[in-house]
This record gives sequence, C-alpha cells and structure tokens, in this order.
Amino acid sequence: MSVTPHPHPVPLTRTTSPMGFSRGGIALAVLSGAAALLPLVTADSFLIHSAIMVLFFAYMATSWNFLCGYVGQLSLGHAMFSGVGGYVSVLLFTTYGVSPWIGMLVGGVVAAALSVLIGYPTFRLKGPYFALTTIAFAEIVRIWVENTDSFLGFRIKGAEGLVVPGVGGDSFWAFQFSGKAPYYYIILAMLALAILATMVMERSKLGYCLKAIRGDRDAAEALGISPTRYTQAAFAISAFMTALGGSFYAQFFRYINPERNMGLELSIDMALMSIIGGQGTPFGPLVGALLLMPLGEISRGYLGGQFLGLHLVIYGVVLMITVLYFPKGLIAPITALANRLFGRGGRP
Amino acid sequence: MDPLILSFAVVNGLLQGGIYGGIALGLSLIFGVLRVVNFAHGSFLMLSLYLSFWCWSLLGMDPYLSALVTVPAMFALGYLVQRVIISPLIVRERALVVEPLSALLLTCGIFLVVDNLALMAFGPDVRSVQLSYYMPSVMLGPIPVDTPRLIAAASSIGVAVAVSMWLRYSHLGRAIRATAQNRDAAAMSGIDVPQVYAVTFGLGCAILGLFGALIAPFIPVNPQIGVAFGIKSFIVVVLGGMGSLPGSIIGGLVIGVFEAVASQFVTATSAAIFSLGLFILVLLVRPAGIMGRA
Repeated sequence: MSVTPHPHPVPLTRTTSPMGFSRGGIALAVLSGAAALLPLVTADSFLIHSAIMVLFFAYMATSWNFLCGYVGQLSLGHAMFSGVGGYVSVLLFTTYGVSPWIGMLVGGVVAAALSVLIGYPTFRLKGPYFALTTIAFAEIVRIWVENTDSFLGFRIKGAEGLVVPGVGGDSFWAFQFSGKAPYYYIILAMLALAILATMVMERSKLGYCLKAIRGDRDAAEALGISPTRYTQAAFAISAFMTALGGSFYAQFFRYINPERNMGLELSIDMALMSIIGGQGTPFGPLVGALLLMPLGEISRGYLGGQFLGLHLVIYGVVLMITVLYFPKGLIAPITALANRLFGRGGRP
Repeated sequence: MDPLILSFAVVNGLLQGGIYGGIALGLSLIFGVLRVVNFAHGSFLMLSLYLSFWCWSLLGMDPYLSALVTVPAMFALGYLVQRVIISPLIVRERALVVEPLSALLLTCGIFLVVDNLALMAFGPDVRSVQLSYYMPSVMLGPIPVDTPRLIAAASSIGVAVAVSMWLRYSHLGRAIRATAQNRDAAAMSGIDVPQVYAVTFGLGCAILGLFGALIAPFIPVNPQIGVAFGIKSFIVVVLGGMGSLPGSIIGGLVIGVFEAVASQFVTATSAAIFSLGLFILVLLVRPAGIMGRA
C-alpha cells in the first residue's frame, strides 16, 4: 500500500485537547469516589465480597486490555502472570517472611521478565496463531507447577496449592485483615490506578504507536515504529499489572492453586470482560466486569446449586452477541449516550 | 531401554496418534476453507461422545452402530452453527477476509456455552460405554494391539483418504476447493458460497461424530473432556499444516509417537509439556507446518 505524507505534520505527542483527558479523569474520580462509599452504607459481607470480585475482575481485564486491547492481539495466557505473581508473593512470605506488599512487586517484576522471554519470539505471529501460542505457554507453566513439589528450595506443593498462614487480626504489613472492607479499598485503588495508567498510556507516544501497529502493522513499521519494541513494552507493563492482581487474589483468599490462579478459565475471563466491555478503551473492561460479574454471581448464588456452570453459559452467549452486534464492545453505545447528554457530537 | 518396551510404546503411540489425527481432520478442513479457527472443536467431540453414549445406554445400540446417529446429527449441528452463528459475521465482513480474531472469539463463545450446558445437563460424572462382546487383541509379533484403538486409527486414515478423494473428484468437492482458494472468484463463477461454508462446517463436525462413535468404547466421557482434545487437535493441526488433511494425520502420528516414547523416559505430564513446547517451536520456526503451503 502507498503511504501519502500528511499535509500538515502533527507532532506525535499530545494531539488531543486537554479537555478529552479531563473528561475521562473526572469520570474516574467520580466513579471511584462513589465506589468508596459502599462499605460505609452497607455491612453486608456477601455484598462487599461480590463487589471485591467485580473490582478484581475489572482490574484483571484492565491489565489485559493494556496490551491486547490497544495492540489488537488476543492473549489467552495472561493467567500465567497472575499465577506467577501470586506464587512469588506467597512463597516469599511463607519462606522468608517478606511482606506481600514487597512480594507482589517482586512477582510483578518476575512476570514482566517472563513476558519478555515469551513476547520476543511470539509477536511476529498473527491473529489466532498468537492466541494459541499464549495458551500453550500458559498451559506449560500450569502443568509444570501442578506437577512440581519443590523448586530451588521453595515448596510449591503442586496441584495441592499453598495456604497463606494467618498472622491473626489486622496486619497491614502481612496484607491480612479480619474484615473485608480493607481489601475492598485496596482493589479499588489498584483498579483506579490501572485505569489511570491506561488513560495516560493512551495519550502517550506508546499509546499512539500501539494504535498504529493495530491499524496496520506493516505501515507502522514503514514509518519507523518498531512493532516488537512497543508491543513488548506494553506486554511487560500488562504482565506486571496482572501479577499484582494475582498477588491480591492470593492474599484475599489466603489460598492459591494452579487451577484457579493460572488456569485457562481465568485467562478467558480476563479477555472476555475486556472484549465484551470494549477493548482499546480505558473504561471498557470495567463495563464488561460490571455486566458479567453480577450475572455470574446471581446465577451462582441463587441457581448455582442446581445448575453448575450456568454463569459460563451466560458469558458465552453475551460474548457471541457482542462479537456479532457490538464489535466495539458495550461501551460504544454508553459513550454515544454520554456524548449526547453532555453535548458532544454536534447535538445541542 | 528394552527394545521390546520401546517398540510397544511406538505402536501405542502410532495408534494414539492416528486417533489424534482423525479427530483433528475436521478442524483442519474448516480452517482450510473458512479460515475460521474453531475453538469449539473439542466441545463438538465431547457432544458426539455423549450422543454415542446415550445411543448405547438408552437405545441399546452398539457404539459402532451409533455412528449412524452421531454422523448425521453432528453434520446437522455443524451446518446450523455455521448458518445461524458464524455466517452473519462473514456477511458483515464481506469486503475483507473474515477477521480471524472475531471468528475465534465467536467459537470461543460456542465452546463456553456447549461445555457448560453439558455440565448442567449431564453433571460432572464420568460415563463409559461397555462393549457387549470381547475383542481379542491383535498380535503384532510379540506386541499386543488393542483392537478398538486399531479400528479408530485405521479409520482416520480411511476418512482422510475418502474426504481428500471426494474433495478432488466430486462437484461439491471442487466447489469447496474453489471457495477455499478464492471466495470472491468462486462466488462469481456461480458457486453458492454460504452453502459451501455450511456444508464444510457440517462435514468437519460429521467427521467428529464418526470419531465420537469410534473412540467411545475406550474413552470415558465427561463434560470437561473437550478442552484437552481441542488443545491436542490445535497442536496436531499446526504441526501438520493448517488446512492440510494428510498433514493432520501425519501431525497426529508424530505427536502420538513423540508423547508415547517421551513418557517412557519422563512422566506423562512432562511429555505433555514437551508436546506443547514442540507446538510453539513449530509455530516459530515453520508456521506452515509439515505439509502446509508455506
């Protein structure tokens, strides 16, 4: 294809008006402020637990979206980073007594390093080939952990999983709290930071390069954008964020096992919520989690006794409807409505 | 290593590999023609196994005879899935080749629905078919060969040859190959492309129906069995070359022997890790596979 030079060259940084950024920023501030009130108005443990799970999956989907939504590659192996993050922080805590707060950062760095090992050879692959390769990598890690009892002196305990020993009472240092509200605030802060990071990335050089690569990889390369370099940078950040989520999950349940923390189902859930909500947008994954998780919780909580797996049937149906009728995700109609209400798009 | 044990492992690996290859045929055929990676492939195999099981336990049919039910039923299911679910996507993206990722997501949705509906309907129990008669093992020199597995493995070669012949010489087969080569040119020559797509998808699923009946005597079925066979089929098809029927059989044989021999030296789970590693290696080094058009 021919690339005609743009008549008025635009600088690559910050081309949109600062207004666009502040609108997203205001939305984020309002949403997090409103969400922060929840533990004050209810003490219902089930409700708070469900809200934590919604925020957790929104966070994981946002981490997935950071790479996959913007560069247009489908990873179905992100759960491996969650597992790595969880195992590193739990093992450092149980073996050396390192605070999970430090452990989760170490886990994030290990996951980012793993992403470099995986990303470097695989980013050349396109479409379904990339998706299948990420499944293969994640399955290798999962099968290995499931069948390994100890590694480098760390007791991994295979498929049995690891229990985080309780220290008793509230301890910020040990990332253990008797009530659920502290966990709620932690995951809310993590989600807000992840969305903020996505918004900053979107308006940075990295974001523009990723979108150029998504639009036309060859053209982007012809313009001097190195697809591997930028994709790898986003992959490492995405892996780091996913690993932090995995550590949170391990601390919240005080238990970690290969099936739940690095299984294919978690990978699919992350991708699913992002795609259904709207990939390549800062708030899309949140929309997806807000829609799917309550559906899942309701079907599990009220009908789950008789109907094992009903929530996944619902996820599958919603996914098919989204792919067929809302290819940009469910956030597209919401954004259109918001623009109409707040006077964007030429309407009074 | 004792040569007798090793040759026993090789023979078993060939049988297992032939079965993998036969199961992967449909995945390869559908990808070759529609360019759709069917993520629900393993789920459809699980369904055919259940169909075969119910034919046996409710109607008292011989598992092999149940192919008379599973093949047309799976053809109909595949035909409908293509017509009702995937076709609208292809129509929407008519100008382009179907965006492979949207199609993958769509079949991923089918996989979630089918697997979990099966879990809801049949429960997590493992069920297995008992043959009412005893099939003595065939002796290959000193090595006993399990007859039902031999039948399944031999059938996969038979099916691959038959489908290849049909694609080469029949009118519809020619139409399918023409569509695979160039969809727009085929449409302009008067080929009913949506019909070709639906028949191809149906055929791919019908082959699964046949193998569901053939492996039912020795593979116990549960709702989660699809994922393992699905992933194995992806490995086989990528190894042999996406879209190539002989490649699917060869890929299956390579993986079968590889795993059987590897599990003589390491544990079976480590062997599974090696075959996933082989899959990644093939994708990176030769993405077209053994028999694929590079």
